[in-house]
Amino acid sequence: MNKIELKNLLFLARLQVKEEDQDKTIEKLQNTFEMIDQMNDLDLDKFEPLNNPLELTNVSRSDEEKNRNKKEEFLKKSPKSDEDYFVVPKIVE
Amino acid sequence: MNFQETRNNFRKKQVSAKELTEESLKKAKEKSELNAFISHFEEYALERASNIDANFDEFKDKPLGGIPIAHKDIFCTDGKKTTCASKMLENFIPPYESTVTKNCNDAGSIMIGKTNMDEFAMGSSNETSFFGPVKNPWGQSLVPGGSSGGSAACVAADITTISTGTDTGGSIRQPAALCGITGLKPTYGLVSRWGMIAFCSSMDQAGPLARDAFACSALLNAMASYDEKDSTCSKRESIDYEKGLNKDFGKLKIGILKGIENLGISEEVLNAYESSKKILEQLGHSFVELDFTELSSGICSYYVIAPAECSSNLSRFDGVKYGHRSEAKNISELYLKTRAEGFGDEVQKRILIGSYVLSAGFYDAYYRKAQKVRRMIKSKFDEFFKDVDLVFLPTTLDQAFEMNRESTDPNRMYKEDLLTIPANLAGLPAMSLPNGFSKNLPIGAQFVGNYFSEELLLNTAHKMQEVTDWHKMTP
Repeated sequence: MNKIELKNLLFLARLQVKEEDQDKTIEKLQNTFEMIDQMNDLDLDKFEPLNNPLELTNVSRSDEEKNRNKKEEFLKKSPKSDEDYFVVPKIVE
Repeated sequence: MNFQETRNNFRKKQVSAKELTEESLKKAKEKSELNAFISHFEEYALERASNIDANFDEFKDKPLGGIPIAHKDIFCTDGKKTTCASKMLENFIPPYESTVTKNCNDAGSIMIGKTNMDEFAMGSSNETSFFGPVKNPWGQSLVPGGSSGGSAACVAADITTISTGTDTGGSIRQPAALCGITGLKPTYGLVSRWGMIAFCSSMDQAGPLARDAFACSALLNAMASYDEKDSTCSKRESIDYEKGLNKDFGKLKIGILKGIENLGISEEVLNAYESSKKILEQLGHSFVELDFTELSSGICSYYVIAPAECSSNLSRFDGVKYGHRSEAKNISELYLKTRAEGFGDEVQKRILIGSYVLSAGFYDAYYRKAQKVRRMIKSKFDEFFKDVDLVFLPTTLDQAFEMNRESTDPNRMYKEDLLTIPANLAGLPAMSLPNGFSKNLPIGAQFVGNYFSEELLLNTAHKMQEVTDWHKMTP
């Protein structure tokens, strides 16, 4: 992994790492991938991928309203809100 | 005093819920240097205890009636701060109650506080908490294990007799082993995940921590319930695990691993394991050697799948709707700065790994391959359980270690969970119990059972604890 790849990855993950710490981050990631890459030594052709240990099927319920949306309560949890909206910095210039 | 005696005394009115609560709150204060708690709810706990005493008849027969409890700070508690040990949620007050804490309340317990943990449950030493590390009651320079380190330390230090935890890769069993207590990770789907802050949704499972299997069975009775709010929660007839302790399951065939000495397990842990095998033999059980060379690859699969799910689950923390927000000029900067400031190093690292393995071009090489390894591990266990009732192995490679441990192996911390991860990948129940001491520090061993075999696990551990004293040792 080089710095350009790391920068792409940081953007994908919406994270920031200071320029001076980037080499260290790359090293840490590479160390972990060295461990993960031991998977490549296994013969896995006969195994289907497993998503969920119990292989559950989806659950549905009747279409009945149970809880009213606690709009005001949830808006109060926001760092910044105004009447019906969450307030964020300007999106369109 | 242990859980069973405490509950008996409460039921016989020899002690009130208020006295028990005052005692727990006092001990929590006296042992504040352990840093086991993120929040204390003194006023709330005393008021609830008085209420329970005033309505004694209603609470006396409940599984946790009158008993103080500490909850891992990963369970949302209505109107009470829930941080997940992260700066991101430093001041977050949930508007709803998790099913686990609601069930424990309904069972008559009294929450005295929320326990410290690794940030977003990512860690094996409790050193990644934004609120500082937890100290092991057996040695203050030592880690208690993680991620449920505060919950384990709280029980080991006798602050409460029971606490809750969550186990995604070993986060109940490993701290239980390092702190000398008992802890159970139930089958995936037995306990509702609703209101439990998500890390890796296909492996996260809540479970009990306590001194012994008896208390774990009472707490599991309270925690386990079908919940339509969690679509992965299993709909099954409920079992009384406490009653199950008195059942006779007969002589068991217990699986042990061939070549276990080659896994890098310390001599002390191996010696304790061998001694426990003798006790199991004396109890009439027999052993079957199992070939599980695939065990070590579990860790590779886990460190792809868990970060992948974490990167997706933690994308909700964006500074808009709740939690930490950084000052920013535009929306893109808001996301970047909020997340870079709000998450600690280990969490950011796992988000990066997860984003990488899920990104276009790498999906087949990592994520899909890891899911195949996951199938391989599950198939292996399915095969084992055709022959054996339980699998028995050490919980950890070594005993409690020093904080800020330096290792020549950069992945040493991840290997803490080498022996616990396979049960999470397969979704199987597993239970750690103290099985020895060396250098005045506890050692743990675990049983892994077939799906929904918690009754057998608890029963077997209980029978072992009837003839051993390791679980009675206190720091």
